[in-house]
Amino acid sequence: MNALHLMAELIFMPLIAFIVGMMMVLMMRKIAARLQRRIGPPFFQPLYDIVKLYGKDTQISHGLIHDIGIIMAVGGYIGAEILLPVPGMEGIAAKGGVITLSYFLMIPSLGMALGVGQCANPNGSIGISRALTAMLAYDIPFILVVFGAAWHYQSTSLIGMIEYQQMHQWGIVEMPLLAIAGLFALQGMLGKQPFEIYIAPAEIATGPMVEMSGKYMGGLFVMQTFQLYTAGVLYASLFLGGGTSFLTLLPKAFLVVALPMSIAFMFPRYKTEDVIRILWKWPVMLALISLAFIL
Amino acid sequence: MTFLDHLFIVVFISLIAISALRNLRIVDKLAPVLYGLILIMLVRMSSVAYGGDVYLSSVSLDLLDFKMHWQFTALSWYFAIITVVAALASAVFMSGDWGRQYREQGGNYGMLQLALIVNVFSMILLLGSGDLLSLFIGWEFVSWASFLMMVLSPTKLAKKSAVKYIVYAMTGAMALMVAIVMIYSVNNSLEFKQIGEVFTQMSTSSQLALVLLFFVAFAIKMGLLPFHLWQAIAYAETPGPGAAFLGAISSRMGMFTIVLVIVQFIGLGGLKQLGISFVNMQTLLAWVAALTTIIPTYIALQQHDAKRLLAWHGVGQGGYMLLGIIMFDSIGSAGGLMHVLNHASYQAALFMTVVAVMYRTGTSDLNKLGGLVTQMPLTFLVMLIGIIGLAGLPPMNGFVSKWLVYRSLLVNGQPLLFVAAVLGTLGTILSVYKLIHNTFLGQLRLEHQNVREVPWSMLVPMLGLSIIVFITGFMPGLILPWIASVQESVGLPVIAHHLGGIEYAKGGLDMIWVSGILFYGFGVGALIFYFLGGKSKRVHQYDNYAGGHFLTSDVRYHYSNNFYPGLMHLIGGWYRGSFKWLENSIVSVVSFFSIFFENIYRAKQPVMLLLIGVVLALFALYRNLGVGA
Repeated sequence: MNALHLMAELIFMPLIAFIVGMMMVLMMRKIAARLQRRIGPPFFQPLYDIVKLYGKDTQISHGLIHDIGIIMAVGGYIGAEILLPVPGMEGIAAKGGVITLSYFLMIPSLGMALGVGQCANPNGSIGISRALTAMLAYDIPFILVVFGAAWHYQSTSLIGMIEYQQMHQWGIVEMPLLAIAGLFALQGMLGKQPFEIYIAPAEIATGPMVEMSGKYMGGLFVMQTFQLYTAGVLYASLFLGGGTSFLTLLPKAFLVVALPMSIAFMFPRYKTEDVIRILWKWPVMLALISLAFIL
Repeated sequence: MTFLDHLFIVVFISLIAISALRNLRIVDKLAPVLYGLILIMLVRMSSVAYGGDVYLSSVSLDLLDFKMHWQFTALSWYFAIITVVAALASAVFMSGDWGRQYREQGGNYGMLQLALIVNVFSMILLLGSGDLLSLFIGWEFVSWASFLMMVLSPTKLAKKSAVKYIVYAMTGAMALMVAIVMIYSVNNSLEFKQIGEVFTQMSTSSQLALVLLFFVAFAIKMGLLPFHLWQAIAYAETPGPGAAFLGAISSRMGMFTIVLVIVQFIGLGGLKQLGISFVNMQTLLAWVAALTTIIPTYIALQQHDAKRLLAWHGVGQGGYMLLGIIMFDSIGSAGGLMHVLNHASYQAALFMTVVAVMYRTGTSDLNKLGGLVTQMPLTFLVMLIGIIGLAGLPPMNGFVSKWLVYRSLLVNGQPLLFVAAVLGTLGTILSVYKLIHNTFLGQLRLEHQNVREVPWSMLVPMLGLSIIVFITGFMPGLILPWIASVQESVGLPVIAHHLGGIEYAKGGLDMIWVSGILFYGFGVGALIFYFLGGKSKRVHQYDNYAGGHFLTSDVRYHYSNNFYPGLMHLIGGWYRGSFKWLENSIVSVVSFFSIFFENIYRAKQPVMLLLIGVVLALFALYRNLGVGA
């Protein structure tokens, strides 16, 4: 890998993730709108939102750690995008592997937690307590799914997993139960109903976002675009055979992200303890049954 | 005279010097210098950690027909360097203002210094043991040295927990002694290699007994389940830097002996042949390790005191070490061994941050702190680095060792153990966030408005340790050669490594890249944040939105009880203290019998007892004579 290629990966992998992520945000808002018989926002709305938030006059900072928290939240995901192989850009991704990637995904949560903690707002702290509990809830099935996939493909490298699937069959065909468990965990990871208590719009005043204004909120918005992209591409790489080009990869990723949104409105909002209860019961059970077949 | 003799001499002279001068002010300056000297002596022997020859001591003691001797292998050296660096950091930490405050508050500073050097001395003695007898002597020394340090605290609880510790430790020592006698009785030799030979000659039940006796002895020291109850409170109650030292390395002597005896001489084959159907000794120990990661971690989550929270995590992290080493493959055992060093570095740093906070505020109660980041930014930084290490997130060193353990569990196809390990990690994240949130984030209390950063004598060791935490995470290859030598010396498969991490078919790890990517991400994040956004305005801590209420200094919100209410609604019922109940019931049974025997011994009618005794003796004599005739 030469320096030019390296530079290209370092710059373009997060950039692509950001652009695709914004389109995913748009798609989700469109889906939500259509389900509610609205038209939904125009194409560039996510970009307008980010520009507006970053450009605001009122930017309230509660101290350096508040700033660093947002930087960690965005930066952790930028790092994660580079570890997430996409067609044509997988040089650096081989250095980490899927376990490292799973742990990278916890860094933004920790960053956000630190930032919110510094705000000295009791409601923010309550929100973070919920968010971290939710992380505990969805990471258990998620990690089981990662384990199962890694065992099945006999590799912890996502590149190796994609190669395996392109030679054999897609993971979803060979391990349907594990794929379903993965979808379950995804619903929690993306914070969609019924697992949305910690980021629900109606909970803004009593959630982690309470003290976030201007570019702080903008940073979290950017983080969301990365999060959607990561979830979509990761799931597509684990179960849907990845892709040989963006043309085959991206539709899968969009489909993966569209699913949680499409079913979200069927559910109420669960309490935190119910989130854990459900996520530790059904997807874990599915994953364990599936593991029993795989092992 | 070999280098090992020099090391022993320097340690012994340090012990004499500190014990003689302990009540003079000069001990402040002298102790760090002496630990520095010991460190130099160890570094001179570093060839052993890069595949060199074992260092033998020229001293040996003739005991009956047996020659007791000492030696330093790669394993001994690895544990010794951690011990000495932890002691050096603790000695520097207590040498300046902390020591002054400790004296003013009526603490016996000289005894604390003495306890530290006695601990180092006894640990070096244990690590250098060359046969089972010197091992046992070192083991006893270490137990009593820790006890000496624990009883220094004036509180009643400290004394009680120290006594509890010594009862546990003596139980372990008894188990160890019985195991040693079992080995001696077969071949009349106490050499280490006899363990393996005797083991193969034994019947299965004796093998099982031997392994269990050894394991119980070592597990007690390490605080593995179900012997975990003594450790956390005893360590948390130890004065300041003493707690940092004990928490960093003391209980890892159990890990040392597990590797030395069980891994090296009994081995995977030995453990696997003990068991019925699919449950063998390896599975059993692996599950002991897994439960040790989970249960103490979730106990830590419920603690209100920062030192206790950390001490409970110390117990929990021991589980990862055992879990790694018990896999017996190159990556798992490397992870387990490496975690000893990693844990020592961040645990010592974390304890020191808590002691630093106590130095300035007088409390480690998580209900009474908060917002200190603006007052003590460097201490906050150390704690942040420490908790990232403890939680095992990249780029700190805790991630590397845990990654190796996870990878090994994956390779060995152990999904349930894997989930247990992850459950421990997630619980740790929750718990350390509570620690840093309730100490440094959130609302700054009125009474802490004038708190300042701690002096440099305390900051230097903390920062030094956090640099170790970062550097060994960034370049694990600095440590991995030592690990590889240890693996080679105890007969484990050797890990293939390079400066950035490990090479492994189908998915290795290169931390230089991983950390580089992460910091690149942070850099881009910072660029976006500082250059693309509007200018932010700093506001006062009470200037925030609380749904129509106003936040004032009266409205306090730092609480540590049920910090995660959702989770506690669900798992709160599990905190039933079953192990405490078990411990209490054993205590009750033992005290019942002791009262029973005491009453017989000191019965109201001693003449009656004497009569019974004489009659029984005569009867026995008569029977014997009768048989003889």
